[in-house]
Amino acid sequence: MDTAKKIVLFQCQWCLYAPEDQDWVDHHLPENVHLTKVPCTGRLDPLFILNAVQGGADGVMISGCVPEKCHFKEGNLSARRQMDEFSDFLNYVGYDEDRICFTWLDLQDRGRIQKDVAEFSKKVEALGKSHALNTRSVLPQGGAHD
Amino acid sequence: MTELENRILAEAQRLLSENLADVVIAFKQADTPLRPQPAFFTDAEAVNDLVYNGLCQNNLANYLTRYPREKKIAMVVRGCESRSVNALVLENQHPRENLYLIGIPCEGIVDWRKIVEAVGEDVLSVQDQADIVVVRTPKGEFTLDRAALMHGSCLRCTQKNPLGTDVTIGKPVAEQDPHLLRERVKNFEALGIQTRYEYFRQESERCIRCYACREACPMCYCEECFVDHTGPRWTESGVTPAGMQGWHIIRAFHQTGRCTSCGACERACPMDIHMTYLTDKLNTDMYDKYQFVAGLDAKTQTPFAAFNLDDKNRFVAGGTSK
Repeated sequence: MDTAKKIVLFQCQWCLYAPEDQDWVDHHLPENVHLTKVPCTGRLDPLFILNAVQGGADGVMISGCVPEKCHFKEGNLSARRQMDEFSDFLNYVGYDEDRICFTWLDLQDRGRIQKDVAEFSKKVEALGKSHALNTRSVLPQGGAHD
Repeated sequence: MTELENRILAEAQRLLSENLADVVIAFKQADTPLRPQPAFFTDAEAVNDLVYNGLCQNNLANYLTRYPREKKIAMVVRGCESRSVNALVLENQHPRENLYLIGIPCEGIVDWRKIVEAVGEDVLSVQDQADIVVVRTPKGEFTLDRAALMHGSCLRCTQKNPLGTDVTIGKPVAEQDPHLLRERVKNFEALGIQTRYEYFRQESERCIRCYACREACPMCYCEECFVDHTGPRWTESGVTPAGMQGWHIIRAFHQTGRCTSCGACERACPMDIHMTYLTDKLNTDMYDKYQFVAGLDAKTQTPFAAFNLDDKNRFVAGGTSK
């Protein structure tokens, strides 16, 4: 039985400078980590996070570029304000904010994403299964959402 | 008719007859004695049925976005409504020069639910007087204490006097302690994460997805709401737990830095769902993090529309949160 906790990784497509890191994220992520690539962290809508949480994610990880290094100049700055507030807000509603994690990667941070994912997995493992907001209805076989 | 009503009426008549406004948005008495309804006067003759009392519970700024930008709109505004108007002007929903704001210092809105609780649903007429509310029902006349009937949002109100009006009718009232809002958020935060989720679950469970809260909110003016969007479907649109919770979380979050805590959403809700505690949290956070209060003027950008390299940074250190 697979007991690993589900983690959703939102990954900015510009922040992994080393091809090895990119390759690892694309092909060698642990099975319990679900990857969603976004053009920039600024593309992240709070709804994406909420969708992941409602779909049963025990942890949500967001990886992007450091403040001055955004590919689109300031996409990550607007994301920082929104995501920061949104995780506070989810905590207020009842979803532990320790389950939401941000990592900002710089040019010299080669090999860091592997460490961060492992560290976060361990943390989520310790927190256990998340029950709050985990309410998505199961899709009927072959059917669509109402 | 009270003296205050007479003065509003005279002002409305003057604006319409002198062609200073194309429409005057105010309240008129409806068949439902507990809830006067918004009225849109375009003719100076018709203004006579204008009313204004503590039972006027809509946020009139809501109707601002429903007129073309070149229409000259005159509007009766209280403290929260004037802030909503500022926030809408900031978001380019109507040019300020085409607005004429008739400000009224607000004594607080009487919650119709509390009247129903006290005297029952069968109400013939209500009279809002200075400190008391006189309710006439088939069973007789009841005199209720006005302070006890005030709506929750008004009890925590921080801006009773309207801001940036063209004319103000009535005497300014004393403002309340601005910490009342924060206190509520702090108390709720102290409950513990499981109790908080349980509370949210129970509140959102009653939701019937009628979107009355959205329709009552002046800041919800999107042409297409995220819940109505079907391709891609952002969130479950049925009356399912995920749909109801998603609606309340994202609705509140879309108000970050824009909500003026008028409480119109809660008063409009047919299921009596408490939802201002969500927006109150966002409002206090916006103040704590960015010293921003929505609608104090029509120039300062909301925190989410502006950003700063010096923001508090909980992303980098150690790679994990905080």
